[in-house]
Amino acid sequence: MTTCRRLIPVALAVFAGCSAITLERVDFGWPVESVLTVSPANTIEDVRYAVRANVAPVAGEEFQDSSALKGAKLRLIRSAEGYYFLTGPRFRHVFVFAPGPSSLVLHTAILVAEGGLKSPALNQRPPYVELIDGDSFRRLLTSDDIAEVKR
Amino acid sequence: MRRILLLPALALLVPFAARAQHSDYALKNDFEERVRALAARLDSASTTGAIDSVRDDIAKLESDFAPHSEFLDRALYPLTFSESVGRLRALQVLTYDRVYLIRTQGLKLSELEARIGALTSRLDSLTAQRDQLFGELQESRKSLASLREAVRRLTANLAAKDRLIFAIVDSIFLPYGKDLHQVADVQKEAIAQRLQNANVVTRVYEIAADNVKFLDVTQLQGKDYAGLIDQYQAFAARWTGLKEKMTDVAATSAVVAGGTPSQARTRAGAGGAARTNAATDGAAAQSAHVDSVLADWHRRLMAGFWGGLQKEFTQAGITVQEFHDGPSFAASVRACVASLAASKQDPQPFVENLWKQKIDRDWRDGLTKDGMLGRTEYAALDRAVSELSKETIDATFIAYIAGVLVIIAAVWFFIFRKKKPAAQAPPAPAA
Repeated sequence: MTTCRRLIPVALAVFAGCSAITLERVDFGWPVESVLTVSPANTIEDVRYAVRANVAPVAGEEFQDSSALKGAKLRLIRSAEGYYFLTGPRFRHVFVFAPGPSSLVLHTAILVAEGGLKSPALNQRPPYVELIDGDSFRRLLTSDDIAEVKR
Repeated sequence: MRRILLLPALALLVPFAARAQHSDYALKNDFEERVRALAARLDSASTTGAIDSVRDDIAKLESDFAPHSEFLDRALYPLTFSESVGRLRALQVLTYDRVYLIRTQGLKLSELEARIGALTSRLDSLTAQRDQLFGELQESRKSLASLREAVRRLTANLAAKDRLIFAIVDSIFLPYGKDLHQVADVQKEAIAQRLQNANVVTRVYEIAADNVKFLDVTQLQGKDYAGLIDQYQAFAARWTGLKEKMTDVAATSAVVAGGTPSQARTRAGAGGAARTNAATDGAAAQSAHVDSVLADWHRRLMAGFWGGLQKEFTQAGITVQEFHDGPSFAASVRACVASLAASKQDPQPFVENLWKQKIDRDWRDGLTKDGMLGRTEYAALDRAVSELSKETIDATFIAYIAGVLVIIAAVWFFIFRKKKPAAQAPPAPAA
């Protein structure tokens, strides 16, 4: 009985150690955005980072038409934190997704242009993701909102 | 032309546009586009001046994008910025070497083309002369002196043709160096074309056939064969080398005509492969044709040589085992020497009249050639025959010495007898 009492803290320490390993300050950031064409099946695929996703729900949310993005060129970048930022021409939002098991879960849809973007581009500017659209439109984004507006 | 001028102009403008909109993706794309455009310019460059201009633009590209090198190192994965520029520079150096080589070869080739043309016409005139000489040979059979002269001139004509055809072959292959495996496919195609234009294989065949005909219609003497054996051996060796090169060139030529092997397979499937095989088979058939006449040449040359040598033995009244090559000749001579030594027959007719007067004087040069008997074996046979002669010489010499000694003894005896009475003269009487 005494022996069992002695072993309990040791076992707890071992199990606690196994479950609590965390790798910190991981940089998930892509150096450059990917420009991906939406296929007829409403999918996008990034060969370098091995990401493939169906973007029909994004089209439904942004344009109320699940097939509206077919043939469009979308811009996708992963931030240093690990969130995926997705946008494209005529988009009013930048969609921020968190990776889940076999899924990308919408974290935030950041409203960036009421009239829709014209020719957007995403840049990696840690700790932000930069959104530009032409010479005079520039926003620094976090995974939740617009952090800074620059011109 | 306008497109060529626009490309560098666009390439210069693009990075400024990229910087204006601050898109990393556009910057990466601009860099890649400029690298591609420079590589394309290098690929199509045909002058060293054009390549020098690309070298300057590579330096400009490097300086334009150097401020973004850290970003490009990550964005251009798996390459880095410096590796991309380094690759371009290496391509520029390679292209420069290629273009320089082609241009200098072009000059050499035009000189060689002229040389090939001159050699070919000389060869044709020798062929006409050869026909006349064969005619003369037929007519000269009555007089031995004129027959020898006709044979000499015809031999010289055939040797000159032999030298000329391989001078043509050398002229065709010379610009491409010794190692044909390092020659580009397009250049091999050019070689194949030149070989075809100069009608090389047909000419090689004709020269070999002329030699066969020459051996067929000419009565040769022992001393004629050394030169003919040399000529055959040199010709056969040169042909072997040429055949290997031609096979290589024919295979490449077929591939170039039908695209690369993979293209030929993809485009024409079995048809492309069949075309390649047909071209290679054609070259192989031509080579086999020359091989067969060369084999005939060798057979007749050997038959004439060993038959003529056997005839010398017969004419000298020496019976030996029949021989048809070096080893069987050596065996026959050794058997003859052994037989003469054992039988105590007079070896003089064999040693003096046949070996020294005929074989050593007229046939030695032919026999000592490699592939016939060889120098070492001939020297061994000569020693064996000399040993036979030595025994005879020794006996004669001893008899001669004995005779001389008898004469000396007799002379001495008579002188001694004459002097003795004078020595024993009685003393003068005392007064």
